[in-house]
Amino acid sequence: MIAPAPTRVPATTSAGEAVVETRGLTKHYGNGIIAVDDLDLVVRRGEVYGFLGPNGAGKTTTLRMLLGLIRPTSGTASVVGGEPGSPASLSKVGAIVEAPAFYPYLSGYDNLRLLAIYCGVPLERVNAALDQVELTPRARHKFSTYSMGMKQRLGIAAALIKEPHLLILDEPTNGLDPQGMADVRNLILGLGKGDRTVLVSSHLLGEVEQMCTRIGVIQKGKLVAEGTIDDLRGAATLSIRAEPAETAMSLLAAEAGADHVTRLPDGTFNLKVELKRSAELNRKLVQAGVEVSELHASERSLEEVFMELTGTESGL
Amino acid sequence: MNAFSGELFKTARRPAVWVCVIALLAVAVTIGYFIPWLVYSHPPPGASQGLPKGTTLADFKVTLYPLNFVRQTLQQWGVLGGVFALILGVLLQGSEYGWATIKTLYTQRDGRLVMLAGKLGALAVVVLVLVVGLFAVDAVASTGVALIDGKSVSYPDAQTIVQGLGAMYLIYGFWALFGFALATLFKQSAMAIGLGLAYALVIEGIIFGVIGALGGDWVKKVQEWFPIANTGYLTNSFGQARIRDLPTTQPYADATHAVAVLFFYVIAFVVVSAVTLKRRDVTN
Repeated sequence: MIAPAPTRVPATTSAGEAVVETRGLTKHYGNGIIAVDDLDLVVRRGEVYGFLGPNGAGKTTTLRMLLGLIRPTSGTASVVGGEPGSPASLSKVGAIVEAPAFYPYLSGYDNLRLLAIYCGVPLERVNAALDQVELTPRARHKFSTYSMGMKQRLGIAAALIKEPHLLILDEPTNGLDPQGMADVRNLILGLGKGDRTVLVSSHLLGEVEQMCTRIGVIQKGKLVAEGTIDDLRGAATLSIRAEPAETAMSLLAAEAGADHVTRLPDGTFNLKVELKRSAELNRKLVQAGVEVSELHASERSLEEVFMELTGTESGL
Repeated sequence: MNAFSGELFKTARRPAVWVCVIALLAVAVTIGYFIPWLVYSHPPPGASQGLPKGTTLADFKVTLYPLNFVRQTLQQWGVLGGVFALILGVLLQGSEYGWATIKTLYTQRDGRLVMLAGKLGALAVVVLVLVVGLFAVDAVASTGVALIDGKSVSYPDAQTIVQGLGAMYLIYGFWALFGFALATLFKQSAMAIGLGLAYALVIEGIIFGVIGALGGDWVKKVQEWFPIANTGYLTNSFGQARIRDLPTTQPYADATHAVAVLFFYVIAFVVVSAVTLKRRDVTN
Protein backbone atom coordinates (compact mmCIF):
# COMPACT_ATOMS: atom_id res chain seq x y z
CA MET A 1 0.00 0.00 0.00
CA ILE A 2 2.71 2.50 0.94
CA ALA A 3 5.74 1.13 -0.87
CA PRO A 4 6.93 -2.05 -2.62
CA ALA A 5 7.63 -5.12 -0.51
CA PRO A 6 10.63 -4.59 1.71
CA THR A 7 14.01 -6.03 1.01
CA ARG A 8 16.89 -6.31 3.39
CA VAL A 9 18.75 -3.08 3.73
CA PRO A 10 22.45 -3.39 3.04
CA ALA A 11 24.68 -2.76 6.00
CA THR A 12 26.29 0.65 6.04
CA THR A 13 29.44 1.82 7.58
CA SER A 14 29.26 2.43 11.30
CA ALA A 15 31.84 5.19 11.21
CA GLY A 16 29.29 8.06 11.33
CA GLU A 17 28.72 10.51 14.12
CA ALA A 18 27.08 9.06 17.24
CA VAL A 19 23.48 10.26 17.50
CA VAL A 20 22.72 8.20 20.59
CA GLU A 21 25.43 7.30 23.04
CA THR A 22 25.04 5.79 26.47
CA ARG A 23 27.72 4.95 28.98
CA GLY A 24 26.96 2.60 31.85
CA LEU A 25 23.27 3.44 31.68
CA THR A 26 21.53 1.70 34.55
CA LYS A 27 18.03 1.71 35.98
CA HIS A 28 17.20 0.03 39.27
CA TYR A 29 13.70 0.01 40.68
CA GLY A 30 12.97 0.08 44.38
CA ASN A 31 11.76 -3.52 44.43
CA GLY A 32 15.22 -4.78 43.51
CA ILE A 33 14.51 -5.11 39.81
CA ILE A 34 17.38 -4.11 37.55
CA ALA A 35 15.64 -3.06 34.36
CA VAL A 36 18.75 -1.83 32.54
CA ASP A 37 22.23 -2.79 33.60
CA ASP A 38 25.36 -0.88 32.64
CA LEU A 39 24.30 -0.35 29.04
CA ASP A 40 26.77 1.05 26.53
CA LEU A 41 25.00 1.81 23.30
CA VAL A 42 26.05 3.77 20.24
CA VAL A 43 23.71 4.55 17.37
CA ARG A 44 25.26 6.41 14.47
CA ARG A 45 23.83 8.92 12.03
CA GLY A 46 21.89 7.40 9.15
CA GLU A 47 21.50 3.97 10.73
CA VAL A 48 18.27 2.06 11.16
CA TYR A 49 19.26 0.47 14.44
CA GLY A 50 17.21 -2.45 15.68
CA PHE A 51 16.96 -2.80 19.43
CA LEU A 52 16.08 -6.42 19.87
CA GLY A 53 15.16 -8.35 22.96
CA PRO A 54 12.49 -10.55 24.49
CA ASN A 55 9.60 -9.03 26.42
CA GLY A 56 10.82 -7.50 29.67
CA ALA A 57 14.44 -7.32 28.54
CA GLY A 58 14.67 -3.57 29.18
CA LYS A 59 14.05 -2.13 25.71
CA THR A 60 11.25 0.24 26.65
CA THR A 61 12.97 1.38 29.85
CA THR A 62 16.07 2.22 27.81
CA LEU A 63 14.07 4.16 25.25
CA ARG A 64 12.21 6.02 28.00
CA MET A 65 15.54 6.98 29.55
CA LEU A 66 16.71 8.29 26.16
CA LEU A 67 13.61 10.46 26.02
CA GLY A 68 13.97 11.74 29.58
CA LEU A 69 10.76 10.04 30.72
CA ILE A 70 12.67 7.86 33.17
CA ARG A 71 15.63 9.06 35.18
CA PRO A 72 18.58 6.65 35.14
CA THR A 73 19.93 5.38 38.44
CA SER A 74 23.45 5.82 37.09
CA GLY A 75 25.28 6.29 33.83
CA THR A 76 25.08 8.95 31.18
CA ALA A 77 23.35 9.35 27.87
CA SER A 78 23.55 11.81 25.03
CA VAL A 79 20.76 12.03 22.47
CA VAL A 80 21.38 14.14 19.35
CA GLY A 81 23.98 16.07 21.27
CA GLY A 82 21.78 16.89 24.25
CA GLU A 83 20.85 15.52 27.62
CA PRO A 84 17.83 13.18 27.40
CA GLY A 85 14.59 15.10 27.92
CA SER A 86 16.21 18.50 27.43
CA PRO A 87 14.65 20.89 24.90
CA ALA A 88 17.87 20.73 22.86
CA SER A 89 17.49 16.98 22.51
CA LEU A 90 13.70 16.68 22.30
CA SER A 91 13.45 19.26 19.52
CA LYS A 92 15.38 16.88 17.25
CA VAL A 93 13.73 13.64 18.31
CA GLY A 94 10.43 12.12 17.22
CA ALA A 95 9.20 9.18 19.23
CA ILE A 96 6.56 6.57 19.82
CA VAL A 97 6.82 4.84 23.17
CA GLU A 98 4.64 1.73 23.39
CA ALA A 99 1.09 2.51 22.19
CA PRO A 100 0.73 6.01 20.72
CA ALA A 101 -1.25 8.19 23.14
CA PHE A 102 -3.45 11.05 21.95
CA TYR A 103 -6.49 13.00 23.07
CA PRO A 104 -9.58 10.95 22.19
CA TYR A 105 -11.92 13.94 21.86
CA LEU A 106 -9.69 15.62 19.26
CA SER A 107 -9.44 14.61 15.61
CA GLY A 108 -6.21 13.20 14.24
CA TYR A 109 -5.59 16.56 12.59
CA ASP A 110 -6.18 18.52 15.79
CA ASN A 111 -3.95 16.16 17.76
CA LEU A 112 -1.12 16.86 15.34
CA ARG A 113 -1.95 20.56 15.32
CA LEU A 114 -1.62 20.53 19.09
CA LEU A 115 1.82 18.93 18.87
CA ALA A 116 2.81 21.49 16.22
CA ILE A 117 1.85 24.25 18.66
CA TYR A 118 3.83 22.64 21.46
CA CYS A 119 6.88 22.25 19.26
CA GLY A 120 6.57 25.61 17.55
CA VAL A 121 6.65 24.10 14.06
CA PRO A 122 4.61 25.53 11.16
CA LEU A 123 1.10 24.11 10.79
CA GLU A 124 1.90 23.07 7.20
CA ARG A 125 3.89 20.24 8.74
CA VAL A 126 0.63 18.74 10.00
CA ASN A 127 -0.73 18.10 6.51
CA ALA A 128 2.66 16.92 5.27
CA ALA A 129 2.96 14.40 8.11
CA LEU A 130 -0.61 13.18 7.57
CA ASP A 131 0.12 12.72 3.86
CA GLN A 132 3.31 10.86 4.67
CA VAL A 133 1.42 8.21 6.63
CA GLU A 134 -1.60 8.29 4.27
CA LEU A 135 -4.02 9.33 6.99
CA THR A 136 -5.36 12.48 5.32
CA PRO A 137 -8.79 11.00 4.43
CA ARG A 138 -9.50 10.24 8.11
CA ALA A 139 -7.67 13.23 9.56
CA ARG A 140 -10.82 15.08 10.60
CA HIS A 141 -12.28 12.10 12.46
CA LYS A 142 -11.89 11.79 16.20
CA PHE A 143 -8.91 9.81 17.43
CA SER A 144 -11.24 7.65 19.54
CA THR A 145 -12.77 6.25 16.30
CA TYR A 146 -9.41 5.14 14.85
CA SER A 147 -8.42 1.53 14.36
CA MET A 148 -5.19 0.26 15.89
CA GLY A 149 -3.38 0.66 12.57
CA MET A 150 -4.57 4.23 12.15
CA LYS A 151 -3.52 5.08 15.70
CA GLN A 152 -0.09 3.68 14.97
CA ARG A 153 0.17 5.69 11.76
CA LEU A 154 -0.92 8.84 13.58
CA GLY A 155 1.80 8.07 16.13
CA ILE A 156 4.37 7.94 13.35
CA ALA A 157 3.00 11.17 11.85
CA ALA A 158 3.34 12.78 15.29
CA ALA A 159 6.91 11.58 15.50
CA LEU A 160 7.63 13.09 12.08
CA ILE A 161 6.07 16.47 12.67
CA LYS A 162 9.30 18.00 13.94
CA GLU A 163 11.24 16.59 10.95
CA PRO A 164 13.45 14.94 13.54
CA HIS A 165 17.06 13.90 13.16
CA LEU A 166 16.33 10.84 15.24
CA LEU A 167 13.21 8.68 15.29
CA ILE A 168 12.71 6.45 18.32
CA LEU A 169 10.04 3.86 17.66
CA ASP A 170 9.13 1.39 20.37
CA GLU A 171 7.51 -1.74 18.92
CA PRO A 172 5.86 0.27 16.13
CA THR A 173 4.01 -2.71 14.63
CA ASN A 174 2.52 -3.94 17.90
CA GLY A 175 -1.12 -4.89 17.55
CA LEU A 176 -1.22 -4.45 13.78
CA ASP A 177 -2.54 -6.96 11.27
CA PRO A 178 -0.10 -8.34 8.68
CA GLN A 179 -0.98 -5.67 6.12
CA GLY A 180 -0.60 -2.94 8.74
CA MET A 181 2.75 -4.38 9.82
CA ALA A 182 3.97 -4.40 6.23
CA ASP A 183 2.82 -0.80 5.74
CA VAL A 184 4.58 0.44 8.85
CA ARG A 185 7.70 -1.53 8.01
CA ASN A 186 7.82 0.00 4.54
CA LEU A 187 7.27 3.42 6.01
CA ILE A 188 10.17 2.99 8.41
CA LEU A 189 12.39 1.77 5.57
CA GLY A 190 11.57 4.94 3.68
CA LEU A 191 12.13 7.14 6.73
CA GLY A 192 15.50 5.57 7.39
CA LYS A 193 16.88 6.56 4.01
CA GLY A 194 19.31 9.43 3.92
CA ASP A 195 20.67 11.15 6.98
CA ARG A 196 17.89 10.40 9.40
CA THR A 197 18.62 7.93 12.17
CA VAL A 198 15.99 5.44 13.30
CA LEU A 199 16.18 3.52 16.55
CA VAL A 200 13.48 0.89 16.48
CA SER A 201 12.82 -1.65 19.20
CA SER A 202 11.12 -4.91 18.46
CA HIS A 203 10.85 -8.50 19.48
CA LEU A 204 9.91 -9.51 15.92
CA LEU A 205 13.00 -10.88 14.27
CA GLY A 206 11.70 -10.87 10.70
CA GLU A 207 10.80 -7.25 11.05
CA VAL A 208 14.22 -6.27 12.35
CA GLU A 209 15.91 -8.33 9.67
CA GLN A 210 14.05 -6.48 6.93
CA MET A 211 14.43 -2.98 8.32
CA CYS A 212 17.65 -2.62 10.20
CA THR A 213 21.21 -1.94 9.17
CA ARG A 214 22.59 -2.82 12.60
CA ILE A 215 21.10 -4.42 15.66
CA GLY A 216 21.76 -4.63 19.36
CA VAL A 217 20.40 -7.50 21.39
CA ILE A 218 19.41 -6.79 24.98
CA GLN A 219 18.72 -9.44 27.57
CA LYS A 220 18.00 -8.86 31.25
CA GLY A 221 18.99 -5.23 30.85
CA LYS A 222 22.39 -5.98 29.32
CA LEU A 223 23.52 -5.57 25.73
CA VAL A 224 24.59 -9.10 24.84
CA ALA A 225 25.45 -8.57 21.16
CA GLU A 226 25.71 -5.79 18.64
CA GLY A 227 26.56 -5.66 14.95
CA THR A 228 25.13 -6.05 11.49
CA ILE A 229 22.81 -8.97 10.94
CA ASP A 230 25.50 -10.70 8.89
CA ASP A 231 28.01 -10.17 11.70
CA LEU A 232 25.68 -11.78 14.19
CA ARG A 233 24.80 -14.68 11.96
CA GLY A 234 28.39 -15.41 11.12
CA ALA A 235 29.54 -16.62 7.70
CA ALA A 236 27.34 -18.98 5.74
CA THR A 237 28.57 -22.57 5.39
CA LEU A 238 28.28 -25.06 2.57
CA SER A 239 26.46 -28.29 3.31
CA ILE A 240 27.34 -31.34 1.15
CA ARG A 241 26.07 -34.92 1.21
CA ALA A 242 28.30 -37.20 -0.85
CA GLU A 243 29.33 -40.88 -1.24
CA PRO A 244 31.76 -42.48 -0.73
CA ALA A 245 32.30 -40.41 2.36
CA GLU A 246 36.01 -41.14 2.83
CA THR A 247 36.92 -39.97 -0.68
CA ALA A 248 34.76 -36.92 -0.30
CA MET A 249 36.33 -36.10 3.08
CA SER A 250 39.90 -36.27 1.82
CA LEU A 251 39.10 -34.17 -1.26
CA LEU A 252 37.19 -31.53 0.69
CA ALA A 253 39.94 -31.37 3.33
CA ALA A 254 42.49 -30.83 0.59
CA GLU A 255 40.42 -28.11 -1.04
CA ALA A 256 39.11 -26.19 1.99
CA GLY A 257 41.61 -27.16 4.67
CA ALA A 258 40.97 -29.86 7.26
CA ASP A 259 40.04 -27.32 9.92
CA HIS A 260 37.21 -26.00 7.78
CA VAL A 261 35.49 -29.32 7.16
CA THR A 262 33.20 -30.92 9.70
CA ARG A 263 31.51 -34.26 9.27
CA LEU A 264 28.13 -34.22 10.93
CA PRO A 265 26.51 -37.30 12.54
CA ASP A 266 23.96 -37.55 9.71
CA GLY A 267 26.80 -37.99 7.20
CA THR A 268 26.75 -34.51 5.69
CA PHE A 269 29.83 -32.32 5.48
CA ASN A 270 29.83 -28.75 6.65
CA LEU A 271 32.40 -26.51 4.96
CA LYS A 272 33.48 -23.02 5.91
CA VAL A 273 34.31 -21.77 2.44
CA GLU A 274 33.28 -18.94 0.22
CA LEU A 275 29.92 -19.86 -1.28
CA LYS A 276 31.11 -18.91 -4.78
CA ARG A 277 33.28 -22.04 -4.72
CA SER A 278 30.20 -24.31 -4.64
CA ALA A 279 30.22 -25.14 -8.34
CA GLU A 280 33.97 -25.74 -8.41
CA LEU A 281 33.83 -28.13 -5.43
CA ASN A 282 30.88 -29.96 -6.93
CA ARG A 283 32.80 -30.46 -10.20
CA LYS A 284 35.90 -31.74 -8.44
CA LEU A 285 33.89 -34.20 -6.35
CA VAL A 286 32.14 -35.56 -9.42
CA GLN A 287 35.44 -35.80 -11.36
CA ALA A 288 36.86 -37.82 -8.40
CA GLY A 289 34.01 -40.30 -8.74
CA VAL A 290 32.07 -39.04 -5.75
CA GLU A 291 28.27 -38.93 -6.05
CA VAL A 292 26.92 -35.62 -4.75
CA SER A 293 23.30 -35.98 -3.67
CA GLU A 294 22.92 -32.66 -1.86
CA LEU A 295 24.76 -29.33 -1.96
CA HIS A 296 23.41 -26.12 -0.49
CA ALA A 297 24.37 -23.04 1.39
CA SER A 298 23.53 -23.20 5.07
CA GLU A 299 22.98 -20.00 7.01
CA ARG A 300 22.01 -19.55 10.66
CA SER A 301 18.72 -17.76 10.96
CA LEU A 302 18.49 -14.62 13.06
CA GLU A 303 16.04 -16.52 15.23
CA GLU A 304 18.69 -19.12 16.00
CA VAL A 305 21.18 -16.39 16.83
CA PHE A 306 18.64 -14.58 18.98
CA MET A 307 17.70 -17.68 20.94
CA GLU A 308 21.34 -18.52 21.43
CA LEU A 309 22.05 -15.02 22.75
CA THR A 310 19.02 -14.63 24.94
CA GLY A 311 18.47 -18.25 25.88
CA THR A 312 14.78 -17.87 25.33
CA GLU A 313 12.06 -18.74 22.90
CA SER A 314 9.51 -16.53 24.54
CA GLY A 315 8.67 -13.17 23.11
CA LEU A 316 9.26 -14.25 19.56
CA MET B 1 4.21 30.40 25.49
CA ASN B 2 3.90 27.37 23.16
CA ALA B 3 3.00 25.18 26.12
CA PHE B 4 0.33 27.64 27.24
CA SER B 5 -1.11 27.98 23.71
CA GLY B 6 -1.19 24.19 23.32
CA GLU B 7 -2.90 23.65 26.65
CA LEU B 8 -5.45 26.33 25.87
CA PHE B 9 -6.05 24.80 22.43
CA LYS B 10 -6.90 21.37 23.81
CA THR B 11 -8.75 22.63 26.90
CA ALA B 12 -11.03 24.86 24.83
CA ARG B 13 -11.95 21.87 22.65
CA ARG B 14 -12.67 19.51 25.51
CA PRO B 15 -16.41 18.94 25.99
CA ALA B 16 -16.01 17.85 29.63
CA VAL B 17 -14.61 21.27 30.56
CA TRP B 18 -17.61 23.09 29.11
CA VAL B 19 -20.04 20.61 30.63
CA CYS B 20 -18.51 21.40 34.01
CA VAL B 21 -18.66 25.19 33.49
CA ILE B 22 -22.19 25.21 32.08
CA ALA B 23 -23.42 22.85 34.80
CA LEU B 24 -22.32 25.28 37.53
CA LEU B 25 -23.87 28.25 35.72
CA ALA B 26 -27.15 26.38 35.23
CA VAL B 27 -27.21 25.25 38.85
CA ALA B 28 -26.40 28.79 40.02
CA VAL B 29 -29.40 30.25 38.22
CA THR B 30 -31.76 27.40 39.11
CA ILE B 31 -30.88 26.83 42.75
CA GLY B 32 -29.56 30.29 43.48
CA TYR B 33 -32.37 32.35 41.98
CA PHE B 34 -35.22 30.51 40.30
CA ILE B 35 -36.22 28.10 43.09
CA PRO B 36 -35.73 30.62 45.95
CA TRP B 37 -37.77 33.22 44.04
CA LEU B 38 -40.56 30.65 43.52
CA VAL B 39 -40.53 29.72 47.22
CA TYR B 40 -40.39 33.32 48.43
CA SER B 41 -43.11 34.41 45.99
CA HIS B 42 -45.42 31.47 46.58
CA PRO B 43 -44.55 30.18 50.05
CA PRO B 44 -46.10 26.87 51.01
CA PRO B 45 -48.56 27.01 53.94
CA GLY B 46 -46.81 27.38 57.28
CA ALA B 47 -43.49 28.24 55.69
CA SER B 48 -43.13 31.38 57.78
CA GLN B 49 -43.30 29.45 61.04
CA GLY B 50 -40.09 29.77 62.98
CA LEU B 51 -39.26 33.16 61.48
CA PRO B 52 -39.11 36.21 63.77
CA LYS B 53 -42.39 37.92 64.31
CA GLY B 54 -43.41 40.14 61.42
CA THR B 55 -40.98 38.51 59.02
CA THR B 56 -42.19 36.52 56.01
CA LEU B 57 -40.39 34.57 53.37
CA ALA B 58 -41.10 37.36 50.91
CA ASP B 59 -38.74 39.54 52.95
CA PHE B 60 -35.88 37.27 51.89
CA LYS B 61 -36.36 38.30 48.27
CA VAL B 62 -34.03 41.18 48.96
CA THR B 63 -31.13 38.70 48.83
CA LEU B 64 -32.04 37.97 45.21
CA TYR B 65 -31.91 41.56 43.99
CA PRO B 66 -28.95 43.01 42.07
CA LEU B 67 -27.61 45.02 45.01
CA ASN B 68 -26.82 41.75 46.77
CA PHE B 69 -25.71 39.61 43.85
CA VAL B 70 -21.98 39.72 44.74
CA ARG B 71 -22.39 38.52 48.32
CA GLN B 72 -25.13 36.11 47.24
CA THR B 73 -22.82 34.53 44.66
CA LEU B 74 -19.92 34.29 47.06
CA GLN B 75 -21.90 32.86 49.95
CA GLN B 76 -23.86 30.37 47.90
CA TRP B 77 -21.10 29.12 45.64
CA GLY B 78 -17.84 29.59 47.48
CA VAL B 79 -17.80 25.98 48.66
CA LEU B 80 -20.42 24.27 46.50
CA GLY B 81 -19.10 25.80 43.29
CA GLY B 82 -15.58 25.03 44.45
CA VAL B 83 -16.33 21.38 43.80
CA PHE B 84 -16.71 22.21 40.11
CA ALA B 85 -13.37 24.00 40.16
CA LEU B 86 -11.86 20.93 41.86
CA ILE B 87 -13.20 18.74 39.06
CA LEU B 88 -11.72 21.08 36.43
CA GLY B 89 -8.32 20.91 38.10
CA VAL B 90 -8.52 17.14 38.24
CA LEU B 91 -9.67 16.86 34.63
CA LEU B 92 -6.86 18.92 33.23
CA GLN B 93 -4.16 16.88 34.91
CA GLY B 94 -5.66 13.47 35.75
CA SER B 95 -6.74 12.70 32.20
CA GLU B 96 -3.13 12.97 31.00
CA TYR B 97 -2.45 9.86 33.07
CA GLY B 98 -5.69 8.13 32.10
CA TRP B 99 -4.98 8.53 28.39
CA ALA B 100 -1.22 8.06 28.87
CA THR B 101 -0.75 11.37 27.03
CA ILE B 102 1.66 12.49 29.72
CA LYS B 103 4.43 10.74 27.77
CA THR B 104 3.33 12.48 24.56
CA LEU B 105 3.35 15.77 26.41
CA TYR B 106 6.83 15.32 27.83
CA THR B 107 8.47 14.19 24.60
CA GLN B 108 7.67 17.26 22.53
CA ARG B 109 10.13 20.07 23.11
CA ASP B 110 9.84 21.99 26.35
CA GLY B 111 10.85 20.66 29.74
CA ARG B 112 8.40 19.42 32.34
CA LEU B 113 8.22 22.63 34.35
CA VAL B 114 7.49 24.68 31.25
CA MET B 115 4.74 22.24 30.30
CA LEU B 116 3.39 22.50 33.85
CA ALA B 117 3.39 26.29 33.64
CA GLY B 118 1.46 26.07 30.37
CA LYS B 119 -1.11 23.79 31.92
CA LEU B 120 -1.51 25.97 35.01
CA GLY B 121 -1.95 28.96 32.73
CA ALA B 122 -4.75 27.20 30.88
CA LEU B 123 -6.33 26.19 34.19
CA ALA B 124 -6.16 29.82 35.34
CA VAL B 125 -8.04 30.87 32.19
CA VAL B 126 -10.71 28.20 32.66
CA VAL B 127 -11.23 29.17 36.30
CA LEU B 128 -11.47 32.81 35.27
CA VAL B 129 -14.16 31.90 32.73
CA LEU B 130 -15.97 29.97 35.46
CA VAL B 131 -15.85 32.86 37.94
CA VAL B 132 -16.75 35.60 35.46
CA GLY B 133 -19.50 33.39 34.01
CA LEU B 134 -20.90 32.73 37.46
CA PHE B 135 -20.99 36.41 38.38
CA ALA B 136 -22.45 37.28 34.98
CA VAL B 137 -25.33 34.79 35.16
CA ASP B 138 -26.05 35.76 38.75
CA ALA B 139 -26.09 39.45 37.78
CA VAL B 140 -28.49 38.70 34.92
CA ALA B 141 -30.68 36.46 37.11
CA SER B 142 -30.84 39.04 39.90
CA THR B 143 -31.74 41.73 37.37
CA GLY B 144 -34.50 39.48 36.02
CA VAL B 145 -35.87 38.90 39.52
CA ALA B 146 -35.86 42.64 40.27
CA LEU B 147 -37.61 43.45 36.98
CA ILE B 148 -40.27 40.78 37.55
CA ASP B 149 -40.87 42.09 41.07
CA GLY B 150 -40.90 45.70 39.87
CA LYS B 151 -37.98 46.67 42.12
CA SER B 152 -35.24 49.13 41.32
CA VAL B 153 -32.24 47.72 39.50
CA SER B 154 -29.15 48.95 41.30
CA TYR B 155 -25.86 47.12 41.50
CA PRO B 156 -23.06 47.10 44.04
CA ASP B 157 -20.27 49.57 43.32
CA ALA B 158 -17.52 48.57 40.92
CA GLN B 159 -14.99 48.07 43.73
CA THR B 160 -17.24 45.52 45.45
CA ILE B 161 -17.76 43.68 42.17
CA VAL B 162 -14.03 43.56 41.45
CA GLN B 163 -13.26 42.46 45.01
CA GLY B 164 -15.95 39.79 44.74
CA LEU B 165 -14.51 38.51 41.49
CA GLY B 166 -11.04 38.49 43.01
CA ALA B 167 -12.19 36.66 46.13
CA MET B 168 -14.02 34.01 44.14
CA TYR B 169 -11.06 33.64 41.79
CA LEU B 170 -8.81 32.95 44.75
CA ILE B 171 -11.29 30.49 46.25
CA TYR B 172 -11.79 28.59 42.98
CA GLY B 173 -8.08 28.81 42.29
CA PHE B 174 -7.48 27.03 45.59
CA TRP B 175 -10.04 24.34 44.71
CA ALA B 176 -8.75 23.85 41.17
CA LEU B 177 -5.14 23.54 42.31
CA PHE B 178 -6.19 21.19 45.10
CA GLY B 179 -7.68 18.93 42.42
CA PHE B 180 -4.65 19.41 40.18
CA ALA B 181 -2.21 18.44 42.94
CA LEU B 182 -4.28 15.40 43.95
CA ALA B 183 -4.45 14.22 40.32
CA THR B 184 -0.69 14.68 40.02
CA LEU B 185 0.03 12.76 43.21
CA PHE B 186 -2.33 9.87 42.46
CA LYS B 187 -1.82 9.86 38.67
CA GLN B 188 -5.53 9.58 38.00
CA SER B 189 -8.84 11.42 38.11
CA ALA B 190 -11.22 9.18 40.06
CA MET B 191 -9.14 8.98 43.23
CA ALA B 192 -8.38 12.71 43.09
CA ILE B 193 -12.04 13.73 42.89
CA GLY B 194 -12.98 11.21 45.58
CA LEU B 195 -10.30 12.37 47.99
CA GLY B 196 -11.02 16.04 47.30
CA LEU B 197 -14.68 15.60 48.12
CA ALA B 198 -13.89 13.40 51.10
CA TYR B 199 -11.58 16.10 52.46
CA ALA B 200 -14.22 18.80 52.08
CA LEU B 201 -17.01 16.73 53.56
CA VAL B 202 -15.26 14.64 56.19
CA ILE B 203 -12.20 16.54 57.39
CA GLU B 204 -13.42 20.12 57.28
CA GLY B 205 -17.12 19.33 57.22
CA ILE B 206 -17.93 16.61 59.73
CA ILE B 207 -14.81 16.38 61.89
CA PHE B 208 -14.45 20.12 62.54
CA GLY B 209 -18.22 20.38 62.90
CA VAL B 210 -18.40 17.67 65.56
CA ILE B 211 -15.20 18.55 67.41
CA GLY B 212 -16.05 22.24 67.20
CA ALA B 213 -19.35 21.62 68.90
CA LEU B 214 -17.63 19.76 71.73
CA GLY B 215 -14.21 21.34 71.95
CA GLY B 216 -14.83 25.05 72.00
CA ASP B 217 -12.49 27.83 70.95
CA TRP B 218 -9.26 25.89 70.43
CA VAL B 219 -10.90 24.01 67.56
CA LYS B 220 -11.76 27.32 65.93
CA LYS B 221 -8.12 28.40 66.36
CA VAL B 222 -6.91 25.26 64.57
CA GLN B 223 -9.54 25.59 61.89
CA GLU B 224 -8.33 29.09 61.09
CA TRP B 225 -5.42 27.53 59.23
CA PHE B 226 -7.46 25.14 57.14
CA PRO B 227 -8.45 26.21 53.63
CA ILE B 228 -12.16 25.60 53.40
CA ALA B 229 -12.79 27.45 56.66
CA ASN B 230 -10.92 30.37 55.13
CA THR B 231 -13.07 30.33 52.01
CA GLY B 232 -15.95 30.84 54.46
CA TYR B 233 -14.17 33.70 56.24
CA LEU B 234 -13.47 35.36 52.90
CA THR B 235 -17.03 35.13 51.60
CA ASN B 236 -18.42 36.25 54.96
CA SER B 237 -16.20 39.32 54.85
CA PHE B 238 -18.55 40.71 52.20
CA GLY B 239 -21.25 40.97 54.87
CA GLN B 240 -24.83 39.84 54.85
CA ALA B 241 -27.90 41.20 53.14
CA ARG B 242 -30.06 43.23 55.49
CA ILE B 243 -33.44 41.47 55.88
CA ARG B 244 -35.84 43.69 57.78
CA ASP B 245 -34.60 43.86 61.35
CA LEU B 246 -32.98 40.45 61.49
CA PRO B 247 -29.59 40.55 63.21
CA THR B 248 -26.49 39.98 61.09
CA THR B 249 -23.42 38.14 62.30
CA GLN B 250 -19.92 39.58 62.21
CA PRO B 251 -17.25 37.74 60.20
CA TYR B 252 -15.16 35.41 62.39
CA ALA B 253 -11.84 36.35 60.79
CA ASP B 254 -10.77 39.24 58.62
CA ALA B 255 -10.37 38.92 54.87
CA THR B 256 -6.61 39.54 54.97
CA HIS B 257 -6.05 36.44 57.06
CA ALA B 258 -8.24 34.38 54.74
CA VAL B 259 -6.49 35.66 51.63
CA ALA B 260 -3.07 34.92 53.12
CA VAL B 261 -4.01 31.38 54.11
CA LEU B 262 -5.60 30.62 50.74
CA PHE B 263 -2.55 32.04 48.92
CA PHE B 264 -0.36 29.77 50.99
CA TYR B 265 -2.35 26.72 49.90
CA VAL B 266 -2.36 27.84 46.25
CA ILE B 267 1.43 28.15 46.28
CA ALA B 268 1.83 24.91 48.22
CA PHE B 269 -0.21 22.97 45.64
CA VAL B 270 1.81 24.44 42.77
CA VAL B 271 5.07 23.51 44.49
CA VAL B 272 3.86 19.97 45.31
CA SER B 273 2.77 19.46 41.69
CA ALA B 274 6.01 20.87 40.29
CA VAL B 275 8.29 18.81 42.52
CA THR B 276 6.30 15.64 41.86
CA LEU B 277 6.24 16.12 38.10
CA LYS B 278 9.89 17.07 37.92
CA ARG B 279 11.16 14.09 39.88
CA ARG B 280 8.83 11.27 39.01
CA ASP B 281 9.47 8.75 36.25
CA VAL B 282 6.84 8.53 33.55
CA THR B 283 6.13 4.83 33.29
CA ASN B 284 2.57 4.68 31.97
